[in-house]
Formats: sequence, structure tokens, C-alpha cells
Amino acid sequence: MPYHVIARDFAGGEDALRERSGRIVRALIELGITDAVGVPDNVTRIIFNLLDAEPDLQVVPVCREGEAWAIASGLWVGGRCPMVIIQNTGFFESGDGLRGTAIEMGVPLLVLMDYRGHHTLNKPNTDSAATFFEPTLRAWGLPYRFLDNGEEAPILGAAFEQAQRTRRPVAVLMT
Amino acid sequence: MMTRDECLDILHRYRRNDVVVVTTMGCVRPWFALSNSRLDFPSAGSAMGHAADFAMGIALAQPSRQVWALNGDGSMLMSLGTLVTISQTPPPNLVLFVFQNDTFEVTGNQPIPGAGSISMTQIAHGAGFARVHEFREKTVLEEKMPLILKEAGPTFINLRIEPGREPPPKLDYPLSQVAAELRAALREE
Repeated sequence: MPYHVIARDFAGGEDALRERSGRIVRALIELGITDAVGVPDNVTRIIFNLLDAEPDLQVVPVCREGEAWAIASGLWVGGRCPMVIIQNTGFFESGDGLRGTAIEMGVPLLVLMDYRGHHTLNKPNTDSAATFFEPTLRAWGLPYRFLDNGEEAPILGAAFEQAQRTRRPVAVLMT
Repeated sequence: MMTRDECLDILHRYRRNDVVVVTTMGCVRPWFALSNSRLDFPSAGSAMGHAADFAMGIALAQPSRQVWALNGDGSMLMSLGTLVTISQTPPPNLVLFVFQNDTFEVTGNQPIPGAGSISMTQIAHGAGFARVHEFREKTVLEEKMPLILKEAGPTFINLRIEPGREPPPKLDYPLSQVAAELRAALREE
């Protein structure tokens, strides 16, 4: 066999991921997020677990990411303050859902996206999920910023404010 | 077999003033001809197959009022997982109507995948809906509607109808404005 199959782990290790997830969840609660809609991956799974334990915040798991845009848009129309949490691969899948609901309806949405494959950029065997991610975000006209480690609260806060001001989804990318 | 217009006429008569109604594809124009409510949301020009999940979001946000989604069978097939998503986080106030005529009507009545063989009713059961109904006759629909609307949902109602000739619906108003106005109406009422 010319190849090996290995586990795709978070590069920083489990403890670092747990601490970072805690900071993210505290920031989201501080912002007044009422509902988190999306699909967990092996990086955001801890965020979903922590959010699930929050009594004043509802987690809405979906089968496919396109639903996340539609449900979050309905929640916003109904008066809530939702957000979307998905991986970049799910973002690729969900284009028409994003266009036809959150963008067309002018929904201010904070979107947390795990940037799968970021560490493989410009290396051999680059993950194509990373290669196409930022060009696709730009093609959709989706503003984005990187979630620097240790700066979670101000970055999420700035993205949230931008989404509210522009009535558009604004993405924050987890690398 | 019933027609869509016959069904919509019955639904319109049983719709209370506080009910939000999300329409898509073949139901948008005929419903607009019947109803002039601030709580109507014509999901025209929006995302294919995402009327039911959009309605689910409104239902979760507005638990004290019913939210109806008037969906087509082709639209339902485009996001079939939504039935499971609804069952997983079930809004008791959501009523999902699926008008099944086995065609993609607004694009010229091409048969949907599984036309003549699939059962939306059984799919809804399998997805975990506790309240599932199927109607083929308008007299039965008329008779059962009052009781069904008193049920704690989410409720799935499969309406087996004849193919029609609706063209694709189009809004002459930005969808962002429609969404903002529905949001404002829901805040006021």
C-alpha cells in the first residue's frame, strides 16, 4: 500500500482547543447570541458541547449546512439573535441557501467557520477545502476575518457589529 | 383528487390572523390572490428547497403563534433532511403542508424523482414527525382541519393534488424588505 491513513487532529492539541473554545463561548454569550445553528466538526465540537450546556442559548443541529442559513434567517425574522457555525466544506455545499436566505433577506449573521486545511496551504498535498475557501468567500461577497488565538472576544465582537451594521452575514475563520 | 386552489381556499378559511404563512414556488401566487396579511412571507427568488427550514426558524422564535409552511413536493425533496432537523428540534407550533403533485410544476411539470412511487407521508413518519396526515379529498381536509390545527406539532400534512400550471413566482420588491417588514410586524403584534 503506497499510502497511510492518519487521524486529522487539531494542530494545537486538545487542551488548547478546549481553552480556546471556552473563550469563544464566553464571547458569544456576551454578545447576546440566542441560537447557534449548524454542524459540528472535529474543531467546533467542543464549542457545540459548551453551548449546549448554556441554559439561555439554544443549539439547533442541522442535517446539511444550507438549512443553517434558512433556520438562522427565520430565527432573525422572528426576533432572535442567531449565529451559524459550520466548516468550510459545508460552506461550499450551502451556497444557494446562503444566497437565497441570509444574503437576499439581509440577515445580520455572525458566522463561525472552521478553516479545514489552513495549515496545509502552500505545502505538498494541500487540502482543496483550504485552496478554494477564501476565493469562494470573496466570490460570495462574504466579509471575513481570522480568529487570532487569544483575541477571540474583540474579533467576534467586531464581526458581530459589522454584521448588524451592514445587515449581512460576516464570517470569522477558525484556523 | 384535489386541486391546489381548492386546498388553499380551505387553508385560507381556517387561517387565524396571528398565523405566519410562508409560501414557496407554486403556492406563492395563488396564496397571494387569497391573502393580504402582513404575516405572509412569499419565499420567491429565495433559496431552492429552503422554505420549510426558514419557517422552522420563525416557529422557534415565535412559540406563541402557529407558523405554516406551504411547500411543494419538489422543494421538499431538495432538502429532505429538513424533516429530520425539524424532528430533532421540534417546534410544536409548526405546520408543514406539502402539496404533492409529483411534478416540478413551475418549470413545466417535469416529474420529480420518485414520481408515482414515493410517499411523503411515510418519509415524514420515518423522519420522526409524530403528527402526520395525508389528504386526497377536499371534503375530508375541510372536515379534519379544525382538529388538526389544535394539535401540538410539529405537524406534517401531505396534500395529494392534481398537477397545475403555475409559472415561477417573482417578487417586484426586495426580499430583504419583505423580511424586515415581517420582522417588524412580529415585534408589533
